[in-house]
Amino acid sequence: MSYWTAFILTLFSPVIGGFIYGLERIVRARMQGRVGPPLLQPFYDFFKLMDKRSIIIHSFHAFMGIMYLIGTWFALFVLLSGGDLLIAIFFHVLSLAFLVVGGFSVRSPYSVIGAMRELLHMVAYEPLYVLSAAALYLVTGTFQVSGILHSKHVPLIYLPLFFTAVLFSLPAILKKSPFDTAEAHQEIIGGPEIEYSGKFYEAVYTAKWIEYVYAFFFIFLFAGGNHILGALLIIFAFFFFNLLDNVTARVNFRQMVAFHWYILIPLAVINLMLIALWRS
Amino acid sequence: MDFKKFRKRSPWILHYNTGSCNGCDIEILACLAPKYDVERFGILNRGNPKQSDILLVTGPVTKRAKERLLRLYFEMPEPKVVVAVGACACSGGVFRHMYNVENGVDKVIPVDVYVPGCAARPEAIIDGIVRALEILKEKGKEVELPHWCSAQVKPPVNRVKLLDRCLEELHGRR
Amino acid sequence: MEKIVYSLFLVPWVLALAVFLLPGARFHRLRQLITFLSLPALSFLTYLIWNGHLPLQIEAPRWLKLAFTVYDYGLLFYFLYQGIKFRDFLVTVLALFQLFLLTWVLLIIPESSVPDFYVDRLSAFMFLIVSTVGTLICIYATKYMEQENLERENRFVAILLWFLGVMNLAVSVNNIEWFFALFETTTLASYILIRFRWDEVSVKNALRALWMNQIGGIAILLGLLFGIKYYGFTHFTQFLSLSGKPTIVMIPLGFLAVSALVKGAQMPFHRWLLGAMVAPTPVSAILHSATMVKIAPYLILRLSPVIKGTLLAKLLIITTGFVFVGAGLLALTQENFKKILAYSTISLLGLMMLTASMGSSMAILASLTLILFHAVVKALLFMEAGVMEKLFKAKYIEDIRRLVERAPITVAFTSIGFMSMTIVPYGIFVSKWMAIEEASNFLSHGAYVGSIIFMATGGVILALLYFKVIGVMTRKRGEFFRFQLEKVPFVYLFSTVPLVLFVIVGSIFIAKLLCLSVNPVVEAVIGTPAPIIAKGLTLITPVSELYGWQIIGAFVLLLIVPILAYFVHFTGTDRVYEYTCGEKLELNIGTYNFFCIQAVEPFVETAAVALFILTLVLGGGLV
Ligand code: SF4
Repeated sequence: MSYWTAFILTLFSPVIGGFIYGLERIVRARMQGRVGPPLLQPFYDFFKLMDKRSIIIHSFHAFMGIMYLIGTWFALFVLLSGGDLLIAIFFHVLSLAFLVVGGFSVRSPYSVIGAMRELLHMVAYEPLYVLSAAALYLVTGTFQVSGILHSKHVPLIYLPLFFTAVLFSLPAILKKSPFDTAEAHQEIIGGPEIEYSGKFYEAVYTAKWIEYVYAFFFIFLFAGGNHILGALLIIFAFFFFNLLDNVTARVNFRQMVAFHWYILIPLAVINLMLIALWRS
Repeated sequence: MDFKKFRKRSPWILHYNTGSCNGCDIEILACLAPKYDVERFGILNRGNPKQSDILLVTGPVTKRAKERLLRLYFEMPEPKVVVAVGACACSGGVFRHMYNVENGVDKVIPVDVYVPGCAARPEAIIDGIVRALEILKEKGKEVELPHWCSAQVKPPVNRVKLLDRCLEELHGRR
Repeated sequence: MEKIVYSLFLVPWVLALAVFLLPGARFHRLRQLITFLSLPALSFLTYLIWNGHLPLQIEAPRWLKLAFTVYDYGLLFYFLYQGIKFRDFLVTVLALFQLFLLTWVLLIIPESSVPDFYVDRLSAFMFLIVSTVGTLICIYATKYMEQENLERENRFVAILLWFLGVMNLAVSVNNIEWFFALFETTTLASYILIRFRWDEVSVKNALRALWMNQIGGIAILLGLLFGIKYYGFTHFTQFLSLSGKPTIVMIPLGFLAVSALVKGAQMPFHRWLLGAMVAPTPVSAILHSATMVKIAPYLILRLSPVIKGTLLAKLLIITTGFVFVGAGLLALTQENFKKILAYSTISLLGLMMLTASMGSSMAILASLTLILFHAVVKALLFMEAGVMEKLFKAKYIEDIRRLVERAPITVAFTSIGFMSMTIVPYGIFVSKWMAIEEASNFLSHGAYVGSIIFMATGGVILALLYFKVIGVMTRKRGEFFRFQLEKVPFVYLFSTVPLVLFVIVGSIFIAKLLCLSVNPVVEAVIGTPAPIIAKGLTLITPVSELYGWQIIGAFVLLLIVPILAYFVHFTGTDRVYEYTCGEKLELNIGTYNFFCIQAVEPFVETAAVALFILTLVLGGGLV
């Protein structure tokens, strides 16, 4: 992918992410036997928030919300620009850092608890993502995203268990049930985002759409050079994770971390062993 | 660009119970359930005043709840509307003139729409919200104050101080 | 050249003596001046060595050998005396055992004509760290002790300076028997420094540090003994000649590696380093960053060409990787600021040894980068811990709450320090990145898969830890109404600012830094340089690239923005209170200390012991 396509894609990623989110709300509603909001609902929300009077706790906190948007945007660009996959993963951590520091900077119990749990989300899913970057390297022979996208192999065939593991940790990165402890609307009312309002909340809201693009692009990588398969994988992952969101209840953070560390990572390791066995 | 028309399309709700019998609350939640599904209109129950547009209040406002109600009210960014749901919230309902209630939400904060009924039917609540949206669309972004409050505000408003001021007045009223 | 090498040991000693001989409050300024002299003097000497013709083999005069033997006995008898004086069973027994082993070694040691000093680029690299970071810590210590105890300042600073000389000597000897002597001298130094305050806890912790490190000394002696028995080897360079030979007896190397693990405070021997926090903060700074614990990765690096690819290396990878994660986990439960730093040192030392024992050129590069940046960052963080302690009376995380309102500089420096240990563009991250990518090449072997899991998991755990602390520091009640820098004494600034600058500049120009300064060291360690190329700011590794714009972008996000955040005021917007469900609460927000992890602490330690024994028994080939 050239820099320009990456740049344009990144620029429009909030729009894409917004559509994904709109679709998600419809799909989720249909699964519950409801009609659901219109497809453009996220954008209506977006424009409404533009018009609200903003009230903030203090400027540092509000500023961190904006930085979270910029950081996520930049992380997405790093991923899409075809550079190193690992670096892109760690840039994602960097963008989360702003949300976390913002969440910690106010004296609100919900915000602080949410920020802490946000970090625990990171602890849960990040090793898996690093490991899958290594596994993708093993199959395609490169860490460069552009290389993976042009590789002749289809990593999915070699890494089915990895794909399963990433699929199951998708809710953790997007904060959906069962792994939505960081947001937990019924419990801590959105966690680190609780104290944002108006335009500043809008920044956080948009950043989350960008995260959708980020996460689904990661799924896309599992198809390697076969882009049609990649699109299918994304659609599958989308429906799967909506189903998961609907049918599961929230687990607590220990269960979340334990599930990732003791089930998903061993799954990934078994996959690695099998590849090694097969190749030798 | 005129953003006003989007206000109608994505009203987010904060629901607060000021001491109701829970009858009205159940009906509000019924609105969100598949049968009535208010999410069709983009309505979300946020549970967070800082990101909400509509305050749905149930109950007769007990003495204990009024301060909380005021705090929540000031936490909501303008433009915002208040919908009093149920007979209690409108006038005190079955609790009217009891020693511990304020006889209705409008004694504490300005109310835009009254939804009658004990308990208010979901249809009535939806109707009330739709009315509220009409009002919301026309509202300005100035800070709204309770009618009994004599404080003068000029932007930017420090709501911490405003609240203190109002609370003083609220407690000094009687 | 020889004279320069000798002066690297002697100059700190002379300065130490000078400082020692100027007691009292009167000479405080003079002592500061003398201490300050060590920075330019040692850096200049290191510069000469670095640009000189390396490696350098120096024949030591015969009397030196005798002197070392006498010194060895003197040292061990001193340990024995301390053991008896404080009625410490372990110290006494271990000292006796050491005496016994030493005598045995001396009885069978063969005459060899191998030069006793071997100064290559690795040694020069260590000189570099000692002579910059180490001396800055000494300068810092003069001010710190002025605020603590002016009467004993001369003694304290003198010990620190002397320690630097010892450290320089330790990394340039070739003779393992001498190495043992210096190893134990660093033990002695840490013992004296830890008990410096002479209260009950200090003495207890100092004795613990003593006996734990004595075990390391015993391991060296055993390694030497087996080395003599099997090969007749007494020098490091002789062992290096073994590299590439198919079947070698691993016992001596196993014991040497174990001594590195002990010195590097790897679990289960991590308690001594934790105990060091009772001493004045510069002690922690010097033990954790520039000297002492750095002997451990140094030793593994020295041996890495030989142990590369063997079972020992793989077991070392797993053991140190486990410590990397385990120490990080335990650090989460701590609430003492210095203890958190200590655990993270243990953790990162694990990572250093992990990468060092992987043994390929990229891994060695990663290890050296880690050593360099870790030394700088840890020194910085401990100095800031000292500043917090002295200026703001903050020792626990609870105390540093809302520090950002009072001390923006300290918070900024500490945050940079913390972030540079995990987050994207900084040196430590780069080395972790290189190590993960290098390990990906060997995924068919379990140890390397394990190493990736350990590196990824340990990395996020440390990130969790640091952000927890940063979060507590940056919490605030309201707006910055007026921006006001705290008054930090000049000496503190003088010793911390260069480190911060190095971390930032070094991370921006990481590609150049690695190619020009670190890669020659890699070449010296294993013979071939790592195949990396610097193109502008872009770092090109064999499998991937770290682009310059990524580094710059991350720096803009991480550095410029937080500084901006002080000055950005959204003046036109309303202010409001936090959401508390409408309740009026007096909020007092604590920190989450992960008490759930304390339950697994025994398991972590048991597993660490098991791995440790496994390393020794299987890796060392004792069976
Ligand atoms: S109006 Fe009736 S149902 Fe509603 S809260 Fe009051 S008493 Fe309950």
